[in-house]
Amino acid sequence: MSGFTASNSRIRVIETISSVDETVFDTDNDMPHIVGTTYLTNVAVDFDDLDQTQNYAGEECVPTYTLESVLVYVPAVWFNFSTFTPSEWTQTYDYYFNSFSREYVSGFTTYHRDTTPGFMEYQFQYVYNECGAYTPYYEYSVDAEEYSSVTNIANLPTDEDGTALDIDFVIVQATGTRSTGGKDPRFNQALPTTVPTKTFSFQGSVLLESSGEASGDSWFRRIMSVYTSGSKLKLKVQESVKSINRGAYNSGFPHIDESRSTYSFNLKVFFGKFRQ
Amino acid sequence: MAIVLKITPTRFQASGSKLDSQRRYIRKVSSGEDLRFVNGQNMDVSGGGLRYVKPDGTNLDDGVYDGSFSGSAGTRVKV
Repeated sequence: MSGFTASNSRIRVIETISSVDETVFDTDNDMPHIVGTTYLTNVAVDFDDLDQTQNYAGEECVPTYTLESVLVYVPAVWFNFSTFTPSEWTQTYDYYFNSFSREYVSGFTTYHRDTTPGFMEYQFQYVYNECGAYTPYYEYSVDAEEYSSVTNIANLPTDEDGTALDIDFVIVQATGTRSTGGKDPRFNQALPTTVPTKTFSFQGSVLLESSGEASGDSWFRRIMSVYTSGSKLKLKVQESVKSINRGAYNSGFPHIDESRSTYSFNLKVFFGKFRQ
Repeated sequence: MAIVLKITPTRFQASGSKLDSQRRYIRKVSSGEDLRFVNGQNMDVSGGGLRYVKPDGTNLDDGVYDGSFSGSAGTRVKV
């Protein structure tokens, strides 16, 4: 049943709900509590531009032609044609007999064959040269990269003797702005970011930016992590880039030099323990 | 006036109700947890991919990640 017990080293509160005793508070339990808070302003996160490499992909013939004059024989051309002589009446008058006479000559066709003689002449023509000139062609790829940077951004809370406390967990409340929105090197558009525009909290790591290939597979990630190590609060910034090809020859990534992103964060860090 | 200590058959209050049996105080447990407190880095990137270490300590990869990071499970807590 519900109750409260207090002894030299233990305070315990029990709440009975539907005949089930639920521990509300028990100093023998490890209960999370905040032992220190740190405010950090303008924490900068900076990712450099990506790099690209020109890769030799092969070479191709550049065809060349020479304009040459060539003496060629234009052969004789034979051709046929016909002419038609029309029919004809001839009338004759005889004075002696005072009479007329008529004579008819029918029309006829005459067939001919003639020729235009052949002749020699100079003609100009382009003559293909055996490929004597080759030019290389290139494909560009984004350089694969694994980048990691760890910085100390705060000291951990200390006890009365100045010894750093053994922190069990950290809760970070953050506001952030992307002061430079890096572009996807392939496109004229900013890399997608997952940083909320308003206050957000996290424990551990945060995905800042990512991008995928046409297949949907990831090729680019930028993250940050906040955690304790030794007597320090650490900020770890990581970038991972898988090499991708441009997919076209002799054409680099148009926005490779605009892929730098920068962030500025204000962090309110709660340092927690489960037991004093 | 703030309550210093008040005990009734159904409720316990102390220190101005900072401690109150009608509240649910989070505590660490060894099993039967309601949630976990994550501590430390819980994401890693490698090969252009991402690994997310879930609060229970298991890895969730994106199919591209090729690293070997291993995070730790969060601390079990019960409400």
